[in-house]
Amino acid sequence: MDRQRRAGLFFVLPAVAYFTCVFLIPLAESLLGSFYRTQPGGASQFVGSRLYVKVLTDPTFWQTVRNTVTLLFMSVPLTAVLALAVALGLHRLVSLRWRSVWTATYFLPFSVSLVAAALVWQWIYDPVYGVLNHLLGHLGLPPLKWLQSLDLVLPSLALINVWARLGFDTLIFLAALQAIPGEYYEAASIDGAGRWQMFGRVTLPLLNPQIVMVAILEIIFNFKVFDTVYATTQGGPASASQTVIMLLYDTAFKFFRLGDASVIAVFVFVSLLLLTLVQWRLFRRQVEY
Amino acid sequence: MKNGWRHLVVVGLVAAGGLVVFFPFFWMAVTSLKTVPEIQRIPLRVAPDRWTNFDNYREVFQRQPFGRFMLNSALVASVSAVSSLLVSSLAGYGFAKFRFPGRDILFFGIIGILMVPFQSVVVPLYLWVNRLGLLDTYAGILAPDLVSVFGVFLMRQAIEMVPTDYIEAARIDGGSEFGIFWRVVLPSVAPAMATLVIIKFMWTWNELFWPLVVINSPEMKVVTLGLVSFTNMYFIEYNLVTAAAVVSILPVLAIFLLCQRWVVRAVVMSGLKG
Repeated sequence: MDRQRRAGLFFVLPAVAYFTCVFLIPLAESLLGSFYRTQPGGASQFVGSRLYVKVLTDPTFWQTVRNTVTLLFMSVPLTAVLALAVALGLHRLVSLRWRSVWTATYFLPFSVSLVAAALVWQWIYDPVYGVLNHLLGHLGLPPLKWLQSLDLVLPSLALINVWARLGFDTLIFLAALQAIPGEYYEAASIDGAGRWQMFGRVTLPLLNPQIVMVAILEIIFNFKVFDTVYATTQGGPASASQTVIMLLYDTAFKFFRLGDASVIAVFVFVSLLLLTLVQWRLFRRQVEY
Repeated sequence: MKNGWRHLVVVGLVAAGGLVVFFPFFWMAVTSLKTVPEIQRIPLRVAPDRWTNFDNYREVFQRQPFGRFMLNSALVASVSAVSSLLVSSLAGYGFAKFRFPGRDILFFGIIGILMVPFQSVVVPLYLWVNRLGLLDTYAGILAPDLVSVFGVFLMRQAIEMVPTDYIEAARIDGGSEFGIFWRVVLPSVAPAMATLVIIKFMWTWNELFWPLVVINSPEMKVVTLGLVSFTNMYFIEYNLVTAAAVVSILPVLAIFLLCQRWVVRAVVMSGLKG
C-alpha cells in the first residue's frame, strides 16, 4: 500500500512541480509585484496601493476596459447563437458525408493561427482594394473604413473573432445534440408538441450545460484576445480598439512599467474569475428542475 | 413533401454559411497568386492572371528566413507536444489510479489553473526567463508550453477508463510501477495520446503572445512572428502577406484534415465535461 502511495505521488510530481513554477509562483509574484514600483535600474520599492490608485484612476485604462467589454458584447452572443444555429442545421443534414464535410469547413478557421486569420481579414477589409468594399460598390453602397474608423473598428474585429471561434462552439453543440436520445422527441411529439415547443422545451434545456460552457469559454477568449488586434490595428485608430490585454502588453514590454502591468494582470485575473463564477452560479441553477 | 422542402432549405443555409466561412481561405490562396498591379486593379478580378504564378512564394522565402521560421515552429511545437504528452500521461495515471493524501486538492488545483489567464503571469515569467538567460532561445519559448492543463485533464479521463484489473494483474506479475504505466496503461489510451499530441502541436504552432515577448533575433522567430513582420511596412504587400500566410497554415491545415477525428475529439472532450 505504501509503495502505491509513493508511486502515485511520484507520477503526479512532474506536472505539479511544473505548474507550480510556471503558474502559481508567477501568479503570486504578479500579486506582489503590483505593490512595488520597479526603477529602470532594477531597484524596487514598496509603494502600497499607489499603483492601483494610479492605474485604476487612469481614464485610458477604463477606455480599454470599455473597448474590451464592447468587443465581448458584440462577439460572444453572436458566436453562441450562430454556433447553435449551425449545429442545428448540421444535425439535420441527412447525408453523413456532407455533414462531416460542412462540419470540417466551419471548423477550419479554428485550426489556423489567429495571426494568419487576422491578416487575411485585414486584406478583405482593406479600404481601397478590399473585396468587401468592392462588394458594397456592386450593391451601390459607399466604401467603408472597416478597421480605420472609430465606430467600425470594434465590430470589424469582433467579426474576425466570431469567424475564428464559430466552428469550435458549433462542434461542442453538435456533439451535445447528437447525445440527446431520439425518444425524448418522440415522447414530446406524442404529447402534441410542435417544432418550436420541442426546441424550447427539450433541446434548449438539455443543451444548457453546453451553452454555459460556450458562454464562459467565449468570454474568456474574447477578454484575452490579443493576436487579432496586434496583427491588425495595434489598438488604433486613436486607441479605439485598444483592449486591456493590449494595454498590458504595451505597459510591460513597450514602456517597461512592470508594476503598472502587474496591476493590470491582477485586474484581468480577478475580473475573469468573477465573470466565470457569476455565470456558473447564474446558469447552473437553471439546469436543476 | 413538406419535410423534403424544409430539408432543402436547411441544406441551402448550411452550405451558404459554410461558403462564407470558407471564403477567406479562398481569397488568401487567390491573392497569393497575384502581382501587386493585379491586387490593385479596379474593377477587381477574382481570378489571378496566371494560376501558376508562384513568385510571391519565392519572394517570401527570399525576403525573410521563412524556412527557418517554419523549422523553429516545427521544433518548438514538436517538443511541446511530446513533453506535454509525457508529463500529462504520468500525471493522468497518478490522478486516475492511485490514492494518496492531497490527490484531489492537487488535481483541482491544476484544473483551477484554467482560470488563470496566461497574461496574468507573463511579466514574472518573462523576468524569470530573463534571469535564467533564456531570452531568445528555444528553451525560453518552450518554458510555459511544456505541459498543458488540458492534457492532464484529458489523460486522466482516458486512463480512468482503463480497467483496474489489468493494472492489478500486472502488479501481481511483479511489474514495476513505471513498467506497468509504460506497458499496460499507455498502450490502452493510444487514441487520447494521439488527440493530445495533435492538438498541442497545433496550439503551440499558432501561438503569438509569448514568442513575441521572448524572441528578438530574426533567426529565432517562429512562424507567427514571421507573418507579422511582413506587415511592418508602410504599404502592406498583401500578395506577399497572403503567400506567407498560406505557407504558415499549410502544416496545421494538413494535420487537421488528416487527423480531423482526433481534433474533434479534443474539442468535444473540452466541451462535454464542464
